[in-house]
Parts: sequence; C-alpha cells; structure tokens
Amino acid sequence: MLLLLVPAAVLLAVVFVAPMLHYVWLSAHANSVLTGLVPIPNQGANWLRLVSDQRFWQDAGQTLRFTVVSVSLEVLLALAIALLLDQRWRGRGVARALTLIPWALPTTVMALGWRWIFNTPYGPLNQTASLLGVAPLNILSNPSITWMATVLADVWKTTPFAALILLAGLQTIPTDLYEALRLEGASQRTCFLRITLPLLKPYIALALLFRLAQAFGVFDLVQVMTGGGPASSTESLALYAYINAMRFLDFGYSATVMIGSFILLLLLCLISWSFLIRLQRRTGRV
Amino acid sequence: MKTLPVRRLLIVLLLSWSLGPLLWQLYTSFSTNEALITPFANIDHRWTLNHYKDVLTGNPPFWRYLINSLIVGTGSTILTLCIATPAAYAITRSRGTITNVAQTMLIVAALFPYVLLFLALLEVARSLHLGNHLLALTIPYAALSQPLAILLLSAAFRDLPIDLEDAARLEGLGLWSRLRWVLIPLIAPATASTAILVFLFAWNEYPIALTWLSDSSLLTLPVAMARIAGSSIYSVPYGAYAAATVLGSIPLIALVLIFQKSIVSGLTSGAVKG
Repeated sequence: MLLLLVPAAVLLAVVFVAPMLHYVWLSAHANSVLTGLVPIPNQGANWLRLVSDQRFWQDAGQTLRFTVVSVSLEVLLALAIALLLDQRWRGRGVARALTLIPWALPTTVMALGWRWIFNTPYGPLNQTASLLGVAPLNILSNPSITWMATVLADVWKTTPFAALILLAGLQTIPTDLYEALRLEGASQRTCFLRITLPLLKPYIALALLFRLAQAFGVFDLVQVMTGGGPASSTESLALYAYINAMRFLDFGYSATVMIGSFILLLLLCLISWSFLIRLQRRTGRV
Repeated sequence: MKTLPVRRLLIVLLLSWSLGPLLWQLYTSFSTNEALITPFANIDHRWTLNHYKDVLTGNPPFWRYLINSLIVGTGSTILTLCIATPAAYAITRSRGTITNVAQTMLIVAALFPYVLLFLALLEVARSLHLGNHLLALTIPYAALSQPLAILLLSAAFRDLPIDLEDAARLEGLGLWSRLRWVLIPLIAPATASTAILVFLFAWNEYPIALTWLSDSSLLTLPVAMARIAGSSIYSVPYGAYAAATVLGSIPLIALVLIFQKSIVSGLTSGAVKG
C-alpha cells in the first residue's frame, strides 16, 4: 500500500526538500562570476553580507508592507463579495463565474494590462485625469505611490480566491440559526456579529494564511508590472533573489537571500498564527 | 441584505471591478494607435484589426504560444493525476501517524511560495539538459501540484463508504482492479476539479517557465507576454499587446465559464474539509 506513495514522495522530496537543502549548502559558499561559477566555501560571508545589506532589508520592508496591505484589503473585500454572492438573486451563478475570471488569468498578462491603465500620459487613468485637469498622474514613476498600484493589481487578481473560500464557509452556516435569532427580534447587524462572523472565523483564518504566504512570495506581478522600480521601491524579496541570480549571476548570495526570505515568512506566519489564536481565545468561540 | 436597488448597485460595482480592466484591453485591441493617444479627439480611423493581424502573423505567430501552453497544461495535468491518485488513496487507507504527518506536510508544501525554488530547479534543468523541452516542464509542475491534488483527491476517497471497497474485495477484485473499476470512477468529480486547477496552474505558471525556456518558439503564454513587455520598457506596443491579451484570455474565460462548478468545488472542498 505504501508503495503507492513512493512516486509522489520522491517527486516532493526532489522539488521541495532538495532545493532547500541545496540553498543551505550554497549559502555557505561564494559562487558567482567572480569565482568562475565554482563554489568556494566562504565561512558565512554571505550571511554577514545579508545582515548588513540595506537593499535586502528595504525589500523585506516593502514585501511586508505589500503583504499586509493587500491581504487585509483582499479579505475585507472578499467578505463583502461572499456576502453578496451568498444571497439568492437571479444570475448569481453567472456573476460568480465572471468574478472568478481575474483569478484565472495569468498574472503576467494582467500585470501589463495594469501598466497600460496607469501609463503616463496615454493610459485611461491619465486621459480621464487630463479631462479633469489634474494630469499627469505619474503613478508608475513615483517611488512613494507605485507600490499602491501593485497592491491594487494584486487585490484585483486574488480577491476572487479569498471570496470563494469565505463563500464556502458562509454556505456551511445553517439558516435556522439566523431564523432563531431573528425570532428573538435581533437585527441583521446582530445576526452578522453573533452568527456569521464567529462561524466564519476558521475560513477567514484559512484565507488569510494562504494569501499571506502567496503575497509574501510575490514575483510575477512586480517583475512584469514595475520591474521592481522605480528606484527598487516595489522590489519584493523574491525579485531580489531572482535579480541576484539572473542579473548579477551571484548564486551563493541569491540562495542566502532565499533562505533569509523563507525565515522571515516563517516568522510572519507564526506571528499571525498566534495572533489569530489569541483572537479566537478572547472571543471564546469555535 | 437591505433593499433591492442597493444590491443591484453592488452587483454592478462588483462586475465592473472584475471585468473593467479586461474590457479596457478589449477596447484597446481594436483601437488604432491614434485613437489610443487622443481618445477624445475627433479622428477618422478609430477602429482597426491591425493589432490582431500583427500578433497572428508575428514570428512566431501568437497561436504557437497557445499551443505550447496547451501542451504543458495537458501534460502536467495527466502526470499530476497519475501520481497523485495512488498517493491520495494510500493516505486515505493508511491509519494513524502516517496520515497526519503526510497531511501536515502537504499543507505546508501547498502554502510554500514556490518561486523560491526556481534557482535550484534551474540548476537541475541545466545539469539534466531539460531546458527548452516543453514536456520537461511537466515534471516540476506535477511536483508543485501534488499537495493540492493529493489533498483534494484524498478528501474524495475518504467520502466513499468503506463497505463498497470491502464488497469489491469479497468479489475477488485486486487492489488495481478496485481502483480502476470501482473507486476512481466514483471520485470522477473530484478528479475533474483537480484536473482543471492543475491545468490552470500550469498554463499560468511564470518563474519556472521563464528560467527553463529561452527558445522563442517554445515559450508558454505568460512568458511570451512578459517578453513583449520586457522588450522595451518605455514603449510597450500596447495595441498589439492588448490583442494578445484578448486572444490569450479567451480559452481561459471559456474554461472558467464551462467548468465553473468544478473549479468552485475544487477550491472550496479543500477549505470545508480541511
């Protein structure tokens, strides 16, 4: 019986475990064009460099900001969409399918679509702005604003996924619970706060955790939409690791950046997990 | 919720938010460059099919990328299912710690931001000369799809009554026959959801395809689109690009509309049962 597990286990070990072990080994070596792409042990120099690498910490801050803002917006918006799609109305099935479309399209494709929307001066946003007399809006060339544009594009693309998970949660709540509470004369607001939200909490936690991990590894969107710019203001950790490997051809340091990012993600997951558990305990439900 | 007009307004808002950027691409793809630069001016040549002509007669023509993505998507789906189905069955039927450990590890792997794996996978591809082979891409894709596929399929196996399999065993059916003739046909809906989710993942995957493929006639759709963007940072040919977006989106939109139920049940059954 366990033989049936072997192909999957081998595949997972080769693709998930082996690379991580390889990175650990690689991060202890200098391996770049300077060494002729031959790995030479360098006694933790990569790690010392990482700790004092301003660009790494700036990217970590940017990745964290991107993750926190876009995931919170996504979950709030997804909750609203799920509540809307949970009600009975004609055409609901079609609407649900249509809202899924952004999620199904390749990220790279719509990343460029958003670049066109924000284009200065020809994109629709700036054309509208010029009609109103407020152009030009240099969204993609202003280091303090561009990241918000990437958040918007990410929210657009991934909210449907979170909305579906929450919708699935809403549909597990038995309707007689609402009827019972309404018989006691409770308002819709009370129903939402006392039934919907507490029973939905595990699903919200699931959506949060999933999106947190995915958003932290953001790569496609940023690489295509902004290339990490302007002035590396939208550069994510994954993109920095990619740039180190593919542009600077410094594989030893790229591996170090990847492990560093992975550790930061683990920390983020642990913090949000313990936060969710404490929240659970305080409200004392589920 | 509230009164009906409010709801109608919310629905309109939701749909324009979801579809607006796409409709803008549709509009862009049929507009002449002059119309794009001066949308409010009064010009004669506002509409054109030239962007589509450019894209379809390019070198390589655009449909080449669609076929490449189709090959990778189909190959990955088949390979994933062949490996994940027996594994899911084994996890369901074995008891105790193995199941728990395996399940926890699968959830962790499903959460893992796989983009971090690209460098090691690239080294594997280089040393085994797997770069620029479309079907070679199905190996990492099948691996990355295993967590989701096994979780979905094992949830489906678990829902089958155990008596059913005992009855088949009493009839003298071996493990292989039980799987082939009894169990696998019964989890067909879960298999369909898994298949479509894996197909979408493989069709859309970017970082690995980006680093494994360099031959321009072998690019998958997402890489080809990004290459158009990277070719010149300051003057992306937006009209042609929009035409490519529309052509590249049609198969996916069709897929979503046709298999909506499978996709939704795939995405949500994991959430409900996990």
